[in-house]
Amino acid sequence: MISYGFKQRIASVVVYIFLAVMAFLSIFPFLWMVIGATNTTSDIVKGKMTFGEAVVANATTFFTQVNAPLIFWNSAKITIIATVLTLLISSLAGYGFEIFSSRFREKLYTLMLLSLMIPFAALMIPLFMLMGKFGLINTHIAVVLPTVASAFIIFYFRQSTKAFPHELRDAARVDGLKEWQIFFLIYMPVMRSTYAAAFIIVFMTAWNSYLWPLIVLQSNETKTITLVISSLGSAYYPDYGVVMIGTVLATIPTLFVFFAMQRQFVEGMLGSVK
Amino acid sequence: MSDVTLRDVRKSFGAVEIIKGVDLDIKSGEFVVFVGPSGCGKSTLLRMIAGLETITAGDLAIGGDRMNEVDPSQRGIAMVFQSYALYPHMTVRENMGFALRFAGLPKAEIRKQVDEAARILELEPLMDRKPKALSGGQRQRVAIGRAIVRHPKVFLFDEPLSNLDAELRVHMRIEIAKLHRDLGATIIYVTHDQVEAMTLADKIVVLRSGVVEQVGAPLELYDNPANLFVAGFIGSPKMNFLKGVVEGGSAGRADIRLPDFGGAVVPVALKGELPAAGSPVTLGIRPSQFTETGDAALPVTVDMLEHLGSETLIYARSTASDLVTIASQSRSNIAMGDTMIARFPSSGALLFSADGKRIY
Repeated sequence: MISYGFKQRIASVVVYIFLAVMAFLSIFPFLWMVIGATNTTSDIVKGKMTFGEAVVANATTFFTQVNAPLIFWNSAKITIIATVLTLLISSLAGYGFEIFSSRFREKLYTLMLLSLMIPFAALMIPLFMLMGKFGLINTHIAVVLPTVASAFIIFYFRQSTKAFPHELRDAARVDGLKEWQIFFLIYMPVMRSTYAAAFIIVFMTAWNSYLWPLIVLQSNETKTITLVISSLGSAYYPDYGVVMIGTVLATIPTLFVFFAMQRQFVEGMLGSVK
Repeated sequence: MSDVTLRDVRKSFGAVEIIKGVDLDIKSGEFVVFVGPSGCGKSTLLRMIAGLETITAGDLAIGGDRMNEVDPSQRGIAMVFQSYALYPHMTVRENMGFALRFAGLPKAEIRKQVDEAARILELEPLMDRKPKALSGGQRQRVAIGRAIVRHPKVFLFDEPLSNLDAELRVHMRIEIAKLHRDLGATIIYVTHDQVEAMTLADKIVVLRSGVVEQVGAPLELYDNPANLFVAGFIGSPKMNFLKGVVEGGSAGRADIRLPDFGGAVVPVALKGELPAAGSPVTLGIRPSQFTETGDAALPVTVDMLEHLGSETLIYARSTASDLVTIASQSRSNIAMGDTMIARFPSSGALLFSADGKRIY
């Protein structure tokens, strides 16, 4: 007869094998990217999976072909502005939806959630025409504007605000704070883990954003890192080593942000207020 | 002056009226406790006084000034919340000085007032800690300190001890009583715990479904409840209510027959008119009123015993299964299942009419 302990051990082994396979599948693209950055195009095409010696050559070609400081600055500028504005506007909306009652609140909220179901492809052309009318095509404002009121982030903030103690708001009112002061001086610091988690999500989305910037950013001076890497990869004879080194460089800021805010991210996902 | 006056104060949420016309006079320096079961509107009434809920109709005055539309911070009140409501990102010192900082007081003055409150509440060693590093009792003291530094006309406490364990609750109750004695401030205190109400209050306001059932000093409410609700709510263990029928009587006396107790007849002193014979009434007897020498006798069977040390609570049943609680000071040899005669002086019994009003 098989003992209970033995069954447990078998179950653990199966679980760990499954997790190891999943972990490998997750990490493989990163590994391939890093290895690719050290190899020549022909090695990459042949499927070489060991580190090579072409990293310096790839980097030199990348920095020769691309105005790296400009495209990184463009990406950084768009990402920072989009992240700050999205967090501010969406958290204000989420807070408002949860804290203030109105006859139309739930209807408006449902309508907003329904907007999540509209695919971006259906919005592209109207948005493009709108930006054209405002004369914003080929500007970074055109990239940022459509993202700042994110239905998902509003939803996320509203859900998190349910855990925000209403008595804190009452105490602040008794202490003499106005509504906007309660939001900035009490709500924001108390919900910092929620902000951290939302920051990571919004930052990564903005940094990796591709389709909409591809449509509205048309000159080389305004393009972002994702657009430039994509154009490197779609050349007639693409240099995959150069593409890979560009991808590695583009990944560094998001990795840095994630690892710097990992603890707050987990706390934010679990709930801010303890 | 920190009198608080409420005149026909009402509160509605849509079509539902929560507070149904409250009239109340709270004198300067008085410790008033709002007490009542969950959902009776006591916290809503307190929040209306604080300005955290709007007043649908009626007038609220603090220190003689109408306050209906005044901002909470301008009413001269300070509030202590059930969950303490300390700002988690601030230290104890910052929490206590926050309102003063907002009122534009100079830093030196804030420091002086915060230090003074910390001294009164023995919070000095905790001033640089954040709330999460404090125990429940310490957090509550900080919340009280935050209220003290504002030097309010009226302190409002919303079930401040509910989150504390039994021992700490007793300790904090004494602290709050001392604080009232030392500061001499007007305090309005909400609780559902009638022991807290009895021990702290100068005046108790008993609420039910948004209506004030009775206002009075603790012992006045205990000895002379206006109706069945107040009689049942004030006092622990709860008053016994025995169903009875008016058998007869004379001027100043009604003979009440208790059908569920073998038809025992209890003569009860009567203030008003003698109700018609056969009228249903309720006889109220406190568990502590049962004695070995009382003139009224109820045959009962012991159901359960609780030995509390200083007294024994006997839960007994009548022949019709009506439950009677008897608080016995003696450690008798009564056991569960025994039959006994529960005696009480008929002069101590209270009489209520069928609609719950006290008729003696």
